[in-house]
Amino acid sequence: MVGKAQGAEVKSIAILVPEQATDFGWNQQGVDSAKAAATQTGVAVTVAQGLGYGDVRPTLRELAEDGVGLMIAHASGYNTAAPEIAEELKVPVAIVDRPDSLKPGLVADYTLSGHEGAYLAGRMAAKVSRTGTVGIVVSGEPPSWNAQSSGFAQGVRAEKPGMKIVYAVIGPAAYSDAAGGQRVTASVIAAGADVIFGQGNGSSFGMLQAVETTKAVDGGKVLFIDVIGDKTPVDKGFLLTSVLWDLTPVYAAMIEDLRGGSFGTKHYKIQLADDSLRLLRTKNVPEDVWASVMKIRDDVIAGRIKVDATFDAAAVRALMSDTGGAVPR
Amino acid sequence: MDMILSAAFLTSLVAGMVVSGVPLLLAGLGEQISEKAGVLNIGIEGMMLAGAYAGFLGAYQTGSLWVGFLYGIGAGMAVASVMAVLCVRLGLNQIVIGIGLTLGAEGLTALLHHVRFSRSYPRLPGVETLPLPGLAELPIVGSALFDRHPIVYLAVASAVVLSVLYRRTHLGLTLRAAGDKPAALDAAGGDVIRTRVAAVLCTGAFAGLGGAFMAEVGAGLFVPFMTGGAGFIAIVLAMLARGRPLWVLAGAALFGACLSMTTALQVAGFDVPTDVIQMLPFAAVMAVLIVFGRGASLPAALGSAYVRGGRGSDGERS
Repeated sequence: MVGKAQGAEVKSIAILVPEQATDFGWNQQGVDSAKAAATQTGVAVTVAQGLGYGDVRPTLRELAEDGVGLMIAHASGYNTAAPEIAEELKVPVAIVDRPDSLKPGLVADYTLSGHEGAYLAGRMAAKVSRTGTVGIVVSGEPPSWNAQSSGFAQGVRAEKPGMKIVYAVIGPAAYSDAAGGQRVTASVIAAGADVIFGQGNGSSFGMLQAVETTKAVDGGKVLFIDVIGDKTPVDKGFLLTSVLWDLTPVYAAMIEDLRGGSFGTKHYKIQLADDSLRLLRTKNVPEDVWASVMKIRDDVIAGRIKVDATFDAAAVRALMSDTGGAVPR
Repeated sequence: MDMILSAAFLTSLVAGMVVSGVPLLLAGLGEQISEKAGVLNIGIEGMMLAGAYAGFLGAYQTGSLWVGFLYGIGAGMAVASVMAVLCVRLGLNQIVIGIGLTLGAEGLTALLHHVRFSRSYPRLPGVETLPLPGLAELPIVGSALFDRHPIVYLAVASAVVLSVLYRRTHLGLTLRAAGDKPAALDAAGGDVIRTRVAAVLCTGAFAGLGGAFMAEVGAGLFVPFMTGGAGFIAIVLAMLARGRPLWVLAGAALFGACLSMTTALQVAGFDVPTDVIQMLPFAAVMAVLIVFGRGASLPAALGSAYVRGGRGSDGERS
């Protein structure tokens, strides 16, 4: 299968996700995008979901022995096991959060960053905030989320340099800690935030619960900004927007790269220009705010505004405690 | 820094301590009952998870948190009954069965959630509270500690009740004998197996209630794997407490306080790596273990199945 570096026929792919693909977030977007990419490129797709965060080697081996042409290991926790199986069974894998692990024909990385979308969300949050404080709550600090946290902070500061940004991590890899999400978000709201930018798989529902049941310090409503997926179907009127990811172009490009012999030689990205990265519009976004943010979006796409992607957790925290500094406007 | 000194923020931190500490308290008290009787209940994480799912289901279906708590107790006892049969009746390895029960409960609750709730993610409305007259009006701690759901007061009271039960009642003596000298209990006419089965079922009830509290009050919803190791922390608390329920209460409060402190430090913008801050609760528990737990004496027959006339002076079989 290493011969795929010279181009190979791909008839089927598989995607492995740690939770069920009904989370309106990371897992669901991954699976939906894999299905869409498979349809687009004419291949079959196998979905292995709810695998948890433990050892996925048996599942990877089984899929490899079934003859799939590409295994997409859609969790940062899989980025050690998947390359090992790729080497062992010579089946190409795609992993996340290890951009330095490319191996031609065998291992591709798609550490994505929605920082430009998060920047727009930050601009929007600053525009609608009444209290002058916004919050960022995360259930972990993987590189993709760090980039979005930094993008959001840059957006807030660009819109209103004096605004306070409260940043809190629920716990180490607290992706399913809904109670922790509820508890930490309630504290961040009590610290003055009236807009919460939340990043967390299952824990994001706890954040949403806190937003729905806790008043802002001014007695008004708290709004929530989600990432990756669209929680509109389960929203009770508190969703401001979401930084939506569409991974279809990424997965389709991987399949084409396998066929063309360039798999594992480059990085992939989602971007505002092709709408693989975009903001969700809800009824909580005033018309003028939406128009203004869309104008900023055009400036980002045109390169008139540059948003830095910060993947390192320490650098993100430093950005939060920084109350001024040069920011793109 | 000013924001962490506001009354609203401090109140939310103390409230966070209560909300995160109560499930640990209930599960820790439950674990202690099993351990007193000689059963090392590693499956408590699974009992909590089952209680969390069932508790949320009950509260969501009926609109009553109390019904949800009953569902949670029932689910915890159902998981515990498997442990009672396999470990107490059949004498299988308690650690292996406990791990198996936890993994099984994780899979089952994730599956049930997927079938029932994964497309709607329903959430419960805000929790009704019972303010304690004269105390609830105190600044900061008043609403955080004394204006809570009644189950919080019951959880604290149960630590006191169990403390009295262990020290001053025949039932407590029987329980301790089942863990320390099961053969002596047997010789005195007591029923070791029945005592241990009852203890394991009580553990399931407490753990299930703790899980239900986490889902209904702590989060207001259920998501798969949401207990996130709380059951294992409860085991540590129970062992640290050296058989004393009030120490479980103190340990749960300490852990909850440290969890809230991690949020406070982050919100205050302390320039310390988040990973270091997040270690605080675990480091605190380890420090307490080192200082106070070194001389911990666990029941002599803990973890061993009892067989009348079996090997060893006490009839236990490891």
